[in-house]
Amino acid sequence: MTVRRAHSIPLLWQIGIIAGLLAIWQWAALIHPAPYLPRVENIVAGYVRLWHGALLWSAIVPSMYRLGVAFLIAVLLGSTFGITLGSLRGLDPWVRPVLEYLRFIPAVAILPASLLLFGATDKMRIFVIAFGSTFPVLLAAIDGARRVEPMLIDVARVIRLTIAQRLVRVVLPAALPSIFAGIRIALSIALVMMVISELIAADDGLGFYILRNQRLFLTENVYAGVLAIGTIGLALTLALLTFEKRVLAWHHGWRGLVDPKGV
Amino acid sequence: METAQPILQVDHVSKVFAPQLTPVLKGLTFKQEPGQFVAVVGPSGCGKTTLLRCIAALAQPDEGAVLHRGQQFDDPPPWLSIVFQDYTRSLFPWLSVRKNVAFGLRDLTKNDRDERVQAALCAVNLEHAADLYPWQLSGGMQQRCALARAIVVQPKLLLLDEPFASVDAQTRIDLQDMVMDICQTMSLSTLLVTHDIDEAVFMADKVVVLSARPTHVVEEIAIDLPRPRDQLATKETPEFLHLRHRVYTLVRQQAQKAAGGNVTEKV
Amino acid sequence: MKLAPRLANAMKGAVGVALAVACWEIVRAGGIVDPRDLPSFASIVRSVAIDLAGGELAIAFLTTFSSWAPGLLIATVGGVIVGAALAMLPRLELATRPLIEFLRPIPSVALIPVALLILGIGLPMQLFMVVFASIWPVLFSTKAGVEGVDPRFLETGRVLHLSKTARLLRIILPNALPSIATGLRTAAAIALAVAITVEMLTGRAGIGFYIENVRLNGLITEMWAAILMTGVLGYLINMLFMAVERMALPWSLENRDR
Ligand SMILES: Nc1ncnc2c1ncn2[C@@H]1O[C@H](COP(=O)(O)OP(=O)(O)OP(=O)(O)O)[C@@H](O)[C@H]1O
Ligand SMILES: [Mg+2]
Repeated sequence: MTVRRAHSIPLLWQIGIIAGLLAIWQWAALIHPAPYLPRVENIVAGYVRLWHGALLWSAIVPSMYRLGVAFLIAVLLGSTFGITLGSLRGLDPWVRPVLEYLRFIPAVAILPASLLLFGATDKMRIFVIAFGSTFPVLLAAIDGARRVEPMLIDVARVIRLTIAQRLVRVVLPAALPSIFAGIRIALSIALVMMVISELIAADDGLGFYILRNQRLFLTENVYAGVLAIGTIGLALTLALLTFEKRVLAWHHGWRGLVDPKGV
Repeated sequence: METAQPILQVDHVSKVFAPQLTPVLKGLTFKQEPGQFVAVVGPSGCGKTTLLRCIAALAQPDEGAVLHRGQQFDDPPPWLSIVFQDYTRSLFPWLSVRKNVAFGLRDLTKNDRDERVQAALCAVNLEHAADLYPWQLSGGMQQRCALARAIVVQPKLLLLDEPFASVDAQTRIDLQDMVMDICQTMSLSTLLVTHDIDEAVFMADKVVVLSARPTHVVEEIAIDLPRPRDQLATKETPEFLHLRHRVYTLVRQQAQKAAGGNVTEKV
Repeated sequence: MKLAPRLANAMKGAVGVALAVACWEIVRAGGIVDPRDLPSFASIVRSVAIDLAGGELAIAFLTTFSSWAPGLLIATVGGVIVGAALAMLPRLELATRPLIEFLRPIPSVALIPVALLILGIGLPMQLFMVVFASIWPVLFSTKAGVEGVDPRFLETGRVLHLSKTARLLRIILPNALPSIATGLRTAAAIALAVAITVEMLTGRAGIGFYIENVRLNGLITEMWAAILMTGVLGYLINMLFMAVERMALPWSLENRDR
């Protein structure tokens, strides 16, 4: 009994706070109608509209496509180069300054240049999203590859693995926890760059949908679009975490034993 | 060739890590015949691990040479296998025990591979833990896992770097018997690094006593105790006690020399 | 590190930079893209010098800075207070968790159209966006830092009869500072990116608008020069924060490694 009470009280609070905020919103929208305060039910209707029919194909799918392709490029490029650079230490001083410079260019600043080179195409959007999200993966992979236990490399050498085999069978798995941490950061950056690239130059996708509805003063659709982007972000994060949990099952158990407080 | 070549020849090996420090190894020389069990003892920090790394071609000596069957190698020779001192760090935490053991097997059908892994796991009594992760095992079990991984490739020369350090006394005795047994049945040449003198004398055909840094060979002592050896019976024979006394005296001299500059450290 | 290897590394780094510039020129010469869109590196560097000296680029940077700095300051104060409160009041944290988990995955820039509706174009809107985007890393790193304080330190404080405020200021804060500083560095980079985005989208003066504007006017070399310098600015900001951290927080684990 007491256990259930202890669990249900915070839940009540959580529900109460959300419900209270929604109620205040709705009340404000009713007594003080303004373009930026659409009613809750209109936002919900707009949100539901987004997920099927024509809008699904003109708003959600294009965004997801750009995000997916660019994100895949970022993960592949970042982890491949990162693992190579991280384990071949001799290379590091040669590329470090260039990398350290490139990573601090805000990806938005690249956008006009990309627009110039590729025009307002998907290529340009994918380039910008990938540019922004490659660096977190790359840096995390470099870091992970450098921290590989040297004795494991010795084991691989005694078994006479080639350098490529060593990278794939020893360095990659050892660096994977670090790479996943980088991928999580990359995902949020990719989402941001997806929206920006669609706000600035696109004729479909969620960013474009939000911007157009803002110009038309259809505010409920603006909010609905923002919610949809949030939903996509949340869903992708959860999917990533689930995947990570399966791939890195060993790491959670291992770290719990080696280092109970975490890193 | 009329006589079999030594499986391992360490020829005047020197190793310096930094020019301003005392050399770690200096003119270290000994050799090992095929099938021989050699134990290397020496004071802590004298460079035993460094020596093993040079032998395994994981590091190159600054002077001298390491010859495997008369040949010099830049990469570990295919018939060499090694169990590292710090076994907790040498097992892959992302692979199960079975996959850790199978790690070094290549160019085999899946069936052959499974058979070999199973045999190695049996040899070290670890079949029941095959699907656990190494970090779920006790220290002694992890050590046996590392041992299984080393013998599964059917090496000719097995290097063991203080394999029984940091396990309890009973486990240590069991592991000693197990290793002697395995080396006998696989007719391996084994090079065991240890600082336990009883262990060295009990297990080896020859004990190589190392000096303090700069490290060289002080003496090679042949151990002609009959095999099979028994933990109780062999260790009570006067021959064993005599040999143990000799090795112990030598090692203590070296340890005192090592502590020479350092008055506070008694040995 | 000794001087000689340091010098060698600097040389290697310089060679790397030279190679990167060479790659740029090769792509330019390769004809994959219109060479007019990729001016030669030398001309870009020349343009940087001219534009910085001419003042226009420098003014654009200062304008961006004038919304970046106050925005980051507000985000820092707010993030530290909220983060610490969430860490020290578990009930509050539990009650607001769904709200925070709901707001967090929304990419800040998606709110730009909303902010435009409510606040219009102007400093308040830009400040709001900068604060909303950069408060999260500060908030979460503060929370992690405060939660990560070793309970033994807190017990020591109680044994020494320190008051609650004294415990907060003398035990919890110094322990959480390294983590807060890391979050702050992330926040600084995000704040810069968002400030630039807002300028690009709304045409408010600043480096974001400058880049868009010179592009629209066909001043390609100027555009690349501005992008080059934006990277330098981002790099310098990070250097500045790291330097301050190293001086102010010598006990931080990140500094001990060095
Ligand atoms: N990579 C290295 N760089 C510099 N010095 C090293 C390096 N590796 C080992 N040393 C030094 O060489 C000496 C010998 O080290 P080694 O690990 O070979 O000793 P050991 O005999 O195996 O010691 P133990 O009995 O504790 O295992 C030590 O003093 C150590 O500090
Ligand atoms: Mg050693």
